[in-house]
Amino acid sequence: MLMMPRMRALVAAATLATLAGGSALAQDAVTIKMWTLDNTGYPEFIAQAAEEFKKTHPNVTIEHQTFPGDPYKTGLQVALVGSDGPDVFFNWSGDDAKRLAKDGLALDLTSYADAPGAFGTTVGEGYLDAFRYDGKLYGVPADAVSKYVFYNTAYFAEHKLEVPKTLAELGTLCKAIRTIDPNTVPMPLGNKTRWKAIHWMTMLNERELGVDGTAADYDLSRPADELYTDAGYAKAFQDLLDLQDAGCFEEAPNATDYTVADTMFSSQASPMEFCGSWCISGFETAGFTDVGFFRLPVVDGGRGDAGANFLVPEGFQVSAKTAHPQEAVDWLSFLVSDDQAAKFVEYTKFMPSNPAKIDTVEGVSPLFKELAADVGTFTQGVNVLDVLLDAAVSEAYLNATVEVLNRTMTPDQAVEAIRKVALEAQAKAAS
Amino acid sequence: MSQSPSRMLDRWMSAGMLAPALLLVGVLVLIPSVLAVVGSFYEFGITSQNWVFVGLSNYARAMADPVFWTALKNNIFLIIGSIITQVGLGTLFAALLDRGVRRGNTFYRTIIFMPVIISSIAVAFVWILIFDPNVGPLNAVIKGIGLTPPRLGWLGDPNISLYMLLVIAAWQNVGFQMVLVLAGLQAIPKELYEAAALDGAKGWRAFVHITLPGIRNVLMVGTLICIIGGLKVFDLVFVTTGGGPANATQVIGSYTYLQAFTLGNMGYADALSVILLVVALGFGWLQLTLSRRG
Repeated sequence: MLMMPRMRALVAAATLATLAGGSALAQDAVTIKMWTLDNTGYPEFIAQAAEEFKKTHPNVTIEHQTFPGDPYKTGLQVALVGSDGPDVFFNWSGDDAKRLAKDGLALDLTSYADAPGAFGTTVGEGYLDAFRYDGKLYGVPADAVSKYVFYNTAYFAEHKLEVPKTLAELGTLCKAIRTIDPNTVPMPLGNKTRWKAIHWMTMLNERELGVDGTAADYDLSRPADELYTDAGYAKAFQDLLDLQDAGCFEEAPNATDYTVADTMFSSQASPMEFCGSWCISGFETAGFTDVGFFRLPVVDGGRGDAGANFLVPEGFQVSAKTAHPQEAVDWLSFLVSDDQAAKFVEYTKFMPSNPAKIDTVEGVSPLFKELAADVGTFTQGVNVLDVLLDAAVSEAYLNATVEVLNRTMTPDQAVEAIRKVALEAQAKAAS
Repeated sequence: MSQSPSRMLDRWMSAGMLAPALLLVGVLVLIPSVLAVVGSFYEFGITSQNWVFVGLSNYARAMADPVFWTALKNNIFLIIGSIITQVGLGTLFAALLDRGVRRGNTFYRTIIFMPVIISSIAVAFVWILIFDPNVGPLNAVIKGIGLTPPRLGWLGDPNISLYMLLVIAAWQNVGFQMVLVLAGLQAIPKELYEAAALDGAKGWRAFVHITLPGIRNVLMVGTLICIIGGLKVFDLVFVTTGGGPANATQVIGSYTYLQAFTLGNMGYADALSVILLVVALGFGWLQLTLSRRG
């Protein structure tokens, strides 16, 4: 009986200690929910990074979810407005990221950027600018994607074909390939989901008008009576039609899925494809190594710059609703740190925003290294129309390009349709 | 005149058992519907917190929007087309299975009904492959018999893509209509046909004077299902054509989605939804009136 008060005290002390310890653990445990696209290698990259991150942040758990590209934008917007959205999420730089910043759904990261080891100290200013709106930083750039004409080097060597120097030569090359075999599609387009041809128009506009020639139309800052009135826009559509007439594309590009086009090239049924830097991993998966690349050639008489090429920075934003902004930024900064950026290349074959250790990466193909080196020589990056433009103008451009390829609209009619929507968007923005 | 305790208990029991369903309908249907009507008088984006009252201008915008009229016309085309293909073919198949086919009846019925139980998304993907102009079997068959497939592709040609959607919808749903009609046919007493045969009414005359009146209610239900399906169609269009090429196969559902989630015009999308609701109510009223007139 003498033991009872002591026992009670011990039990009480143990209970208190357990409760105190438990509540401390519960308070410290942080889960960062992360959304990204389902790109090849992404889940593996994030999984190993989360393990590494836990060594310095043992209380932080990363919950990673991936989504296909097409429904991602929609799902993200709905989730961010709701109460169960991600803490950090992938986004393209451009109109979408800007809209989230403007609507208060993306966190202003400016004050976090330059802390010791934070992303502002490892990622270059050029990349950071891609997520800077009104002077504030709203994202952590992770990588950039570019586009090239990839070609089958063995096929070119066998048939003694040369890499074209101008767009007209590209058309001639397509005709030569059709002469070799009329059933061979020289460079399948795969525009069923519309974004493939808009990538062509992005570069053809640059080749005809130059980056500076398009900027004021793209951001709707040009006076209304001059908006999209440059003849270069119609000429760019005509360039696309000239390539179609030269037999470059498949018969029904607007009914062909991009996956079919990708497979036609990687299975060596077609000798060329205008494809993204992300396509490299697909070639490697298919065991196709006889691949070379060249930039979309310049246009005779065009105002474009051969040094300018397609470049879309991508990265991560932090939800303004996150309960753990510091941990979220720490996690993103970790992802773009020197070591993790190298791992990022290793797993995803994407070009990282922090290239400090890119040369140390093992298992990366010579094609990737060559392409990454070429990206480093761009004189200007050309952002893609369906990311850069106002959503309504982008939609008009997507539809106009489909109609031009279907020959249900002439280039002039297409530009007029785009101009009409651009004028409405300009007026709406001004009101 | 107070109610007996057992009657009171019954009423409370009924109310209690209905409450979960009413709550679900209220939360998932009524409240969003009311919010959509309210939202249609405002201009706002999905990520924007700023609602600007614009009165009826979203409705005026729809009236002046050519894509809205294309979408509405496509909905009506799909309704009429579905009635002809699904109810028509369903009735034909049911009649054949009821009277024409002597052996393998269950086998044919199962085969025709099978697409009904497959998800619409899966059906759409299968047909995308069939219609693919490069690797699809349909083009290979067409070329194999010496014909020329459409230059822009089955789903890429604005002049035929809507018809292709009708084909996919018919393939998936004709089995359901067939089963409905078959049930109706089997409920018609055989004696009626025997008596008609004695009076010299066989074949087509028996079909017109006995079969059709006998399955009239079933056909009305089938038609109503086609109307509802044609009005709310979304998944099939979204997956196969995305409303393209260049809005040629846009329907109100897909156009509402485009406006809401791609272009960020939530108020306008709400207005489109409300218009669709009014059109649906109009069809419902027409259906009811016609069926009452007999």
